[in-house]
Amino acid sequence: MSCEDTRLLIGADPGATTPALEEHLRTCPACASFRDEMRALDRDIRRALERPADMGRPRAGRQAWRQWALAASVVLATLAVLGLWLLRPNDTLAREVVAHVQKEPESWLATQHVSAQDIERALRGAGIALNVTSDRIMYAQSCWFHGHYVPHLVVQTARGPATVLILRHEQVRERRTFHEAGMSGVIAPAEHGSIAVLVRGGGSLDDIAAQMQQDMRSIAESH
Amino acid sequence: MRPDLLRFAHWLARDRAIAEDIVQEALLRAWRSRDTLKDPGAARAWLLTIVRREHARLYERKRLELVSLDDVVEVQASRSFSEPDGELSALRHAIMKLPIEYREPLVLQVLGGFSTEEIAHELALSCTAVLTRLFRARNKLRVICGMTPAPEVATGESLR
Repeated sequence: MSCEDTRLLIGADPGATTPALEEHLRTCPACASFRDEMRALDRDIRRALERPADMGRPRAGRQAWRQWALAASVVLATLAVLGLWLLRPNDTLAREVVAHVQKEPESWLATQHVSAQDIERALRGAGIALNVTSDRIMYAQSCWFHGHYVPHLVVQTARGPATVLILRHEQVRERRTFHEAGMSGVIAPAEHGSIAVLVRGGGSLDDIAAQMQQDMRSIAESH
Repeated sequence: MRPDLLRFAHWLARDRAIAEDIVQEALLRAWRSRDTLKDPGAARAWLLTIVRREHARLYERKRLELVSLDDVVEVQASRSFSEPDGELSALRHAIMKLPIEYREPLVLQVLGGFSTEEIAHELALSCTAVLTRLFRARNKLRVICGMTPAPEVATGESLR
């Protein structure tokens, strides 16, 4: 075996051992030294290959884009969950208010104002009283809602009839509007519980809600 | 096993994200053709072969965007200053700069444990050509590590 063949074999595979190779190395110190060097180098090559430079670390470009996308997804998902959590109670209450009004469609159709006695009867079931001086109330019932009797009124306004539910047992943190089943509504905190106001169609309820807040103060002052 | 495959793919593709894609696709292919694995003891070599072919297929199929090797090495070199094994980092960068025809048989041999005959079969080369490429790959790395390069050997493979 020539030195050239020996070095080719060692350079290609420092771990190789064949009888011919070993025989040559016993008589050629230069080639034996070359093999020692190559074996040492090969140990380093193996160590280097076993741990690439950027394994386990983020890379620029595509990988970074993926990580940004993942982070953005997590943030959006968190915001969505947070938003749903914040909206859930009032939205549920709004749906139930709308569902209740849908069960009493005749309430929208009343054309004559309700007597003071009927109004008082509707309010009495909820344990409240109201000094009614207006003849704007066209409908007044005491309805079972969420485990309590609540006054269900329809008040004539400049925009037509508006349903009012006085929800003394429903606490809301802030005013919230909703649009559902062809109705627009607002549920607003009141001194005692909350008040829900609904009209058919769209548009702002701010003026009606403000008037209702005033009414609610009248209710509180009556106690 | 997956870390081995990922490491192997990384040295072929020189990009971690692409390596992950390659391994994922290779594992899917392996699962679909699992009936062709006759000897469970050869699973590792079988999987590495699938990874290598997937790497070749990926480049044929997608014509991946070419990235300047100088940029890759520069980025990685900048990291090496903070690494405790500075010499190994230099070696990694040197391996990374090897042309694919030298890097691939070296990785197959050292990481994959393939014999010269197996590499020759896989790369459709003669055993002499494989030995030459492995010799030249290590010779280039010797220079990087400050050793005297071994004299070139005449094997019939053209010099690069």
